[in-house]
Amino acid sequence: MIDKSDDEIISIFEEISNNFKRSNQYFDILYDATSILRITKSRSEESISVNSKKTGVVARTLLDSWHEVAIQDEIDLKNIPKKLPARKNNGDAITEYDGWKIDKEIKTKVDPSKIPINDKIKKIRELFDYIKNFDKRIINPIIGYGEGLITRIFVNNEGCQLRQVLPRIRLFIQPVAKEGSKIDFDYFSIGAEQGYELVDEVSNKNLDQIIQNSLDMLTADSPPSGKLPIILGPDMSGLIAHESFGHGLEADQVLRDRSYLKERLGKKVASEICVICDAPNIEGQYGSHFFDDEGIKAGKNILVKNGILKNFIHNRRTASILNSVPKGNGRRETFAHPVFVRMTNTYFEPGDYKIEEMISEIQHGVMLIRGYFGMEDVLGGGMQISSKKGYLIENGEKTKLLKTITLSGSVLQLLQNIDAVSDDELMLRPGTCGKGEEDFVPVTSGGSYVRTKSALISPG
Amino acid sequence: MKKVSVEAIEVIEKSLKSKKIREYEIFFVEQDIYETEFLKYKIDTVREVKDIEYVVRILTQKGDETGIGIVKGNSLSLPQIEKNIEICQLLSKENSGSKYNFPEQKPQKPIKTADQSIVKDPIGFKSDMSEKILEEISEHKEITPTFSRFRIHIQNKTLKNSTGLNLEASKTFFYIEMALKAQSNGKLSEAWEIEYIKEKEELNIERRVNKWARIAVDTLKAKIPKPNRQAIVIFPPNVLKNAINPVIGFHALGKAYHEKISALNVDAKVASDTFSLRDDGLLEGGLRCNSWDGEGNPHKLIEVIKNGIFKNRLYDQKFAIMGNTESTGNGIRIDDGSVINSISNLEILPGDIAKEEIITSIKDGYLIEKCSWLNPDRFSGSFGTEIRNGYFIKNGQIEYPIKGGNISGNVLEMIKNSQFISKEREFSLNSLFPYIAFKNLSISS
Repeated sequence: MIDKSDDEIISIFEEISNNFKRSNQYFDILYDATSILRITKSRSEESISVNSKKTGVVARTLLDSWHEVAIQDEIDLKNIPKKLPARKNNGDAITEYDGWKIDKEIKTKVDPSKIPINDKIKKIRELFDYIKNFDKRIINPIIGYGEGLITRIFVNNEGCQLRQVLPRIRLFIQPVAKEGSKIDFDYFSIGAEQGYELVDEVSNKNLDQIIQNSLDMLTADSPPSGKLPIILGPDMSGLIAHESFGHGLEADQVLRDRSYLKERLGKKVASEICVICDAPNIEGQYGSHFFDDEGIKAGKNILVKNGILKNFIHNRRTASILNSVPKGNGRRETFAHPVFVRMTNTYFEPGDYKIEEMISEIQHGVMLIRGYFGMEDVLGGGMQISSKKGYLIENGEKTKLLKTITLSGSVLQLLQNIDAVSDDELMLRPGTCGKGEEDFVPVTSGGSYVRTKSALISPG
Repeated sequence: MKKVSVEAIEVIEKSLKSKKIREYEIFFVEQDIYETEFLKYKIDTVREVKDIEYVVRILTQKGDETGIGIVKGNSLSLPQIEKNIEICQLLSKENSGSKYNFPEQKPQKPIKTADQSIVKDPIGFKSDMSEKILEEISEHKEITPTFSRFRIHIQNKTLKNSTGLNLEASKTFFYIEMALKAQSNGKLSEAWEIEYIKEKEELNIERRVNKWARIAVDTLKAKIPKPNRQAIVIFPPNVLKNAINPVIGFHALGKAYHEKISALNVDAKVASDTFSLRDDGLLEGGLRCNSWDGEGNPHKLIEVIKNGIFKNRLYDQKFAIMGNTESTGNGIRIDDGSVINSISNLEILPGDIAKEEIITSIKDGYLIEKCSWLNPDRFSGSFGTEIRNGYFIKNGQIEYPIKGGNISGNVLEMIKNSQFISKEREFSLNSLFPYIAFKNLSISS
């Protein structure tokens, strides 16, 4: 535990940083403090847990490779200069940036720490009871509530002195429905860098819809298999932007010679109506921050414009090697996890079609509307993403509700086949993203409705 | 590894007692991590992590119900420990659930879960393994590595509660991730593999690199599989784990039974006659191998499915009390410090046919080496996933590699349709599984 005030931490970090002259080698040090409250409730369990301000520090330097040491005991702070190797005249191993300063705390409308714990538990129980009593076919309402307060302090030997305090809140509702031997569900998830107001905004009308969605899944049909015209809802277009496309743009994959997009910078990768972005600087979103875990200021990165690949996604080192500008995508799960190139808020920008128009132009197709999960194929450019539900489109109309649908095939083919993007307001959904199978960071993904002429689907 | 737990636990326990808290539990974990990440053939990042954390759980009994407070922290300063205990006490008063009490100490089978040679010299071992990884990769001129990671975890865990239970365990395990790329005539393919490995002997870098390099090279020639709505498909252990664990491992739980969502009824036929599944927290080589589970109950071997018949559910302390039975050692400690009812290590008993014989017995089928992400729906068992690496089998022989297209099915149905089970078994994470050929899966492309 690092039991110091934030000002003291900055001062100690400055002192440690002074051991490493920038002209000799790059050095940075990050403080991470995380407090979390989790409440989960299901038919058989209610759990409340607090992570009481877990703190730690990670320091690193770049020689031929990164050398990094992470500690949680204050006593070990003084050993950091001894733990990291020193070298002379190695400062140009990475691009030098001007140091900068920031001290930002997101102020919430309703501060979760001011709401008594019993009020939060009461709220979760009310949600649970409301859902349980709505219909006897709801056999298990699963509710998950989480709030976190993350403090990160960053100092480096370029003069950066940065501090940010980010509140994150998330609510997940999954009413499990059963009739006969059939069990199914739909789910609802919201999350943002906001306060408790996010939870207060969930109305009974919202809940009615969430429950009805789960009940409807009991009578959903199996989806067809094969290549069909499809419409992707905002959840699903976000999954394409993030999972199938965005991971290939992470520039560490480019340096590894692993990305199918490596040779496509400046080339056409999608239809002309596509604009895809990653932006950690959108206010209040679950994947946002003021600076990343390498001290880079958050910006907006236009990845694809008019179908042309404009930029990769960078951390400090990939930007240095590939001569580009980082926008705040070097992220760690915690001090104990490595820093990698990571996405933040990744989305398709809205277009100018009406969704009704997009549906009416399809004779036989499928609409995929509930983003469920996906997996990247960075080298091959393949995709697998699943939608928890969808609709059959017949003769220009949405007809039968469909069970889980898996979408696969070539990402670039899908992007180049996009012939309509709706004018609906940008919708971003929260989630967590892993690098491989670990190192989870908060993100959002989204967009509006996107139509593609042909894509391979199958039951999921 | 510097061991701070003894003194820290004493301080926490003293503080709990001074507040006259009668039912408490302290779980203390010290962890050292040593990692090397490679960019192609070069070391890119070297990391060392020293971490500790503790979890305090406090119970408040309320007649037929129990409130459980859970607080996780890493501060060893007395004021912060006291604050954490106060929060924990408050949570236990506000929380309400079914009856629960902490287990008492019971006889446990001692097992070795830490390799002392790793504990003594983790950096030396990591360095040897790093060299070995580069050496093995360099042997294969037909592939190039894009990146790799090798990591050692050393953990010391202590669990103490107010019934007098006092347990300690040390554990070592490894993480390996590797992406090997093959290319020819403008075509690219890769084998990207991730494994958590419990034992040093199971690391077997040479075997792994050989296999992954072969998959990468073969995938260069891969074709999209032909659609087949009633396909015979062989799943290797690492793919099978992703199907069986989340579905059968879920429906077998006391929790699933009490939530009325288990599709498995005791003594009912749920799988093919040759299919037998055990949960074994004592299984040496399984990632969750330990003498005791997350709340201190002894791990044991439980027959879940025997010759196709569902025999036993898996209980943690909470659901055991609810079901008026005994814990089977299936309380797993998760990240937020709470204990959930879950599988420990799953083991499918071997069959009597060699893996190669399974292939020769199949007239028209598929061997799936890797899926994109199988991720079945744990309630229904349904899944649909993209094929990343695999082979088409024709007249008992591997005909050609396949990639792309989807495989879909239902895990609860699949185990009723296992046609061949191999003699050979392999560890993958917390599973020891054979190769199994299943009938009636659907391939679409």
